[in-house]
Amino acid sequence: MCLSQHFWQFLIPGITLGCLYALIAIGYTLVYGVLQLINFAHSEVFMTGGFAGLFLVQALVTTGVTPHGTESVLYVVLGICCGAIFGGIVAFLLERVAYRPLRRRNAPRLIYLITAIGASLFLFNLAGKLFGRDKVNVPELYTNGVVFTVFGAQVRVQQIIIVCTALGMMLMLDAVVNRTKLGAGIRAVAQDSQTASLMGVNINRVISQTFVIGGLLGGAAGFLFGTYLNVHYQMGFLPGIKAFAAAVLGGIGNIRGAMIGGLLLGIVESLSQSCMSSQWIDVVAFVVLILVLMFRPTGILGQRLGRAA
Amino acid sequence: MSQVGGLPVRVKRSRKVDPRLVRLFGWLVLGALLRLMTVTTEGTATDHTLVLDAAFKSTALIWWLLGAVAVWALTELWRARKVGSLVSDRTAGARKQWRTVSDRKLTRQLAVLALVLAALIIPNLMSEFYQRVLVDQVAVFVLLAVGLNVVVGWSGLLDLGYIAFFAIGAYTTAYFTGSLPVTPGFRLNPFVILPIAVIVCLIAGLLLGAPTLRLRGDYLAIVTLGFHEIVQLFLVNKNNWTGGNQGVSKPIPHFSINIFGIHYQWTLDSMPYWYLFMGMLAIVVFLFARLEHSKVGRSWTAIREDEVAAAASGVPTVKYKLMAFSIGASTSGLAGVLYGSRLGYINPASFPVVLSITVLSYVIFGGMGAIIGVIAGAALLTFLPAVFQEQNLVRQEDIPMWIGAILVVMMLFRPQGLIPSRRRRRELRLAQQGIADADAMSEAPEGRQ
Amino acid sequence: MVQHEQKGRGLALTLQWKRCVVHKKTVLAAAPVMIGALALSSCSSSKSKPASAGGGGNKPSYTIGFQGPLTGPNAQLGINIDNAVKLAVAQANAKGDLPFTLKVAEADDQGDPAKGPTAAQQLIGNSNVMGVVGPTFSGATKAAQPLFTQANLASVSASATNSSLTDPANGFKTFFRIVPPDSTQGTAAADYMAKALKAKSVYLIDDKSDYGVGLCGNIKTQLTADGVNVVSDSVAAGTNDYSAAATKVANSGTQAMYYCGYYADAAPLAKALKNTPYTGKTLSGDGSNDPKFISLAGSAGEGWQFTCPCLSAAASTDPTTQQFVKDYTASANQPPGTYSPEGFDVANTLITVMKPLGTNVTRGAVVTGLRSVDFKGLTKQIKFQPNGEVTEKSIFVYQVKNGQITEVGTVDKLIAS
Repeated sequence: MCLSQHFWQFLIPGITLGCLYALIAIGYTLVYGVLQLINFAHSEVFMTGGFAGLFLVQALVTTGVTPHGTESVLYVVLGICCGAIFGGIVAFLLERVAYRPLRRRNAPRLIYLITAIGASLFLFNLAGKLFGRDKVNVPELYTNGVVFTVFGAQVRVQQIIIVCTALGMMLMLDAVVNRTKLGAGIRAVAQDSQTASLMGVNINRVISQTFVIGGLLGGAAGFLFGTYLNVHYQMGFLPGIKAFAAAVLGGIGNIRGAMIGGLLLGIVESLSQSCMSSQWIDVVAFVVLILVLMFRPTGILGQRLGRAA
Repeated sequence: MSQVGGLPVRVKRSRKVDPRLVRLFGWLVLGALLRLMTVTTEGTATDHTLVLDAAFKSTALIWWLLGAVAVWALTELWRARKVGSLVSDRTAGARKQWRTVSDRKLTRQLAVLALVLAALIIPNLMSEFYQRVLVDQVAVFVLLAVGLNVVVGWSGLLDLGYIAFFAIGAYTTAYFTGSLPVTPGFRLNPFVILPIAVIVCLIAGLLLGAPTLRLRGDYLAIVTLGFHEIVQLFLVNKNNWTGGNQGVSKPIPHFSINIFGIHYQWTLDSMPYWYLFMGMLAIVVFLFARLEHSKVGRSWTAIREDEVAAAASGVPTVKYKLMAFSIGASTSGLAGVLYGSRLGYINPASFPVVLSITVLSYVIFGGMGAIIGVIAGAALLTFLPAVFQEQNLVRQEDIPMWIGAILVVMMLFRPQGLIPSRRRRRELRLAQQGIADADAMSEAPEGRQ
Repeated sequence: MVQHEQKGRGLALTLQWKRCVVHKKTVLAAAPVMIGALALSSCSSSKSKPASAGGGGNKPSYTIGFQGPLTGPNAQLGINIDNAVKLAVAQANAKGDLPFTLKVAEADDQGDPAKGPTAAQQLIGNSNVMGVVGPTFSGATKAAQPLFTQANLASVSASATNSSLTDPANGFKTFFRIVPPDSTQGTAAADYMAKALKAKSVYLIDDKSDYGVGLCGNIKTQLTADGVNVVSDSVAAGTNDYSAAATKVANSGTQAMYYCGYYADAAPLAKALKNTPYTGKTLSGDGSNDPKFISLAGSAGEGWQFTCPCLSAAASTDPTTQQFVKDYTASANQPPGTYSPEGFDVANTLITVMKPLGTNVTRGAVVTGLRSVDFKGLTKQIKFQPNGEVTEKSIFVYQVKNGQITEVGTVDKLIAS
């Protein structure tokens, strides 16, 4: 009953948020696919993207003036690119500095996880030290007007930008993984890294590339998230865990699964708000995660590691 | 670029960069990073280059970089002269002698005795501030770390919701002492609550562990993290039960003894609590030490080293993992009772998620699997920040950053910890050779339905 | 700079040391010794210095303590007060008519109840501390106050507004505060919405914090008494996404929305609300009344109103207050923020109490003195009731206009007009 009353008003923000979760979830799922590792520090990649985009935009936009027209488009695109690039750089460095030495000496998985957690703790606190621990507002890049209304729910410019960008990036990723040599490498390592290496795949390079691809998407999501809400040194923590839940929901290691899982989680989270008090919003993702693990640990689409879909 | 089997292969061009230069570069980057981490300026949202300027546009940077070069030069010298092997050759005899002495039971007993005496006497000489630090920080976290060691160190599971059980223990105390908005109708002495809290946490641990421990071990990490978040939200949101963020509605009473004509009441003073904590710690350590060498302890070792082989040899792996998980949980609950009664006031903010990771770092820093290492690690890492705080050396909020850095550095260079257990060290070495696992992270062989 | 360098060298040495140590037993023997050595070296430094060793010639030296967040997410509120305390002490010393010299000792509790007792102990352990400004936050006050009471050390808060703090059942005998409790603000805010804004229905959101839940509870009681329709919701502080909560506000069709929480969360809520078709009035309490709200919310903050028991120094026309703004800005390198004038008043109240005691200031005498003090501060006439509450309790309303927080007036006047 509570669902039907304002269904559309809650669905639209849910889709928006879901797209962001999906972008982050892809990062988890890609790394899990090739390394079987939960990259806890991925949430910091996301955070870095948010800050990088923010600083670029702060430098470009004069305070108090909301740009419009082509200027707006330019700033948004630049912000996304900047976030993505820095996200990619941090992901690359993480792999190089923290994970590769461990891989070289064949460390147990517990060690990987602890390293990942340590790196995450270090990175977000360093960001807090460097850029302050207050939330920061991303300057307005466009007038956030209502574009159209669906069944009484307003759809705004911001939501359209987020959804379109996310969908675009996901389509591109899908094409890259399924159609290019790079994608073939990733799939080969995910299926069987030893055999792949015997077939002449440079595993280290493929793993680096995987981290960078995940970082690009995560960083871009960070900037989009920043424009939608705020930029904050701890902004990665909860979305990170939720995105991981989304990846598990879709079937970890499965890229299309991560997309669907993210979208679904965002929608479930938002719709659940119409039925209960907002104070429980953060529980939803964890309950979903625990339920999935209990009843269908392979996720909706199954853990088809390295398959095309 | 050539093609082999349809996949790209790059023929590696061998570009020779002197490894020494690479190492120099590494040291320089490390020096600059340390400079950045030690700068006391705090960033603001408005001026994002403030800290970078403070760190790098100052003469101190030069000193740090010179220091890095000096360290590099020393290490290169060390390498070139093979001082390391030289020293180890020269001291081989002495070390062997030391080992025979240190392996003697008498030596060990003497060392433990010295440690106990030190723990009983030294705090009396300290100022009240440090006594308070010893009880509120050192003792609590040492107890927590010893418990987490069972989960992480002995059974090789990663538990990131450990502090949730600590909260459950503390809130159980608050409930049974009638300090919460909901009361049981009677009030118990905290001593009586100790076993209750242990059982409550044991059950909570079983309920959480049973569904998740059948899955891949690394899912446990994220599920426990989620569990912590749920517990926290529950404490915050259920105002009419827990008092929400306002915390307990009445102060939690202190411990007291009132039997056989003996009356004793613990108060705000720190020393009586210190002895109480040390007593509890002694009991827990004694029990765990027995456990380590029992059938259970050996089963944990077997699971850690090769889960599949252990299962094949008839070790019920899920059962033993569950046992470790809930033993850890109940230790955490025990610490929670002591903590809650000691402070008198608790609220959900006393149990943040990052605290679980902090305790984890104490265990890892000290040496997973070695009780003495874990105690030393936790004691050092809780006492030092207090000294820093008192002397205003490091900003309080930078401490998580240092903890993160310590975790990464330890994992990269000394995964066995400060004072490792011999068995763990051997396992890690075997794992490097691809023989053993050294954790219980793979899928439970008898698990998945 | 030299200091940093030495610290760094020490750290590097320790790291080296850690790496060299291989033997379990060496460390076993070394650890307690090292801890002991550290403790001894540090307790010697924290031991009280002789009272006559102060800088001002033969005058004895006393210390005013400050407890509050100087680091962490809510640091700004603590810093606002700390700077004001430092200013008050510097001015008192500069005047030269004090029979003693004053110093300030800071104890950082990060606004966290768990760290409250340790910070309090830091001040109590310093036997020169005769009175404490703080604690800043209510939760930390609850945790630290038993220790202050035991030490018979007066703690006068400039900002802890939780109603239950002055409840005699707590036995907080040495606690005073110069701001009225949340119950006063809650009642005033409710009356303002019901009678001045003439809202028929109000949407209340609290942030689940000690402060927010208390404030919204009081508002709800009074609104119901005023015959206003109330819808309540809670969103825990630190939540990232307020869009769902904002959607609910918009769907409710209420004429006013009051947020009980701090600026760090009020701002994202403001942003989310702007993305909905909500047209009602938007209000919040003293926790959001900070210039940072505007910088964080951007244009979405425009039109928001705040109720606050505090005096906005910047908006005042009183010459003494303007002088304070000038002095504060000069000494702290930033304009005074929320609760800066109150912090200044608390410090001056303590100084007023200590001054007639001459060279025999004791903690007990300060507590006794506070009970009978009658002092004209910047913000109000400071006089305490037996339970530690201040007698004068006016609530101000502020509004964001053109990116500035401007004073609208006191609630009483606004309702009357």
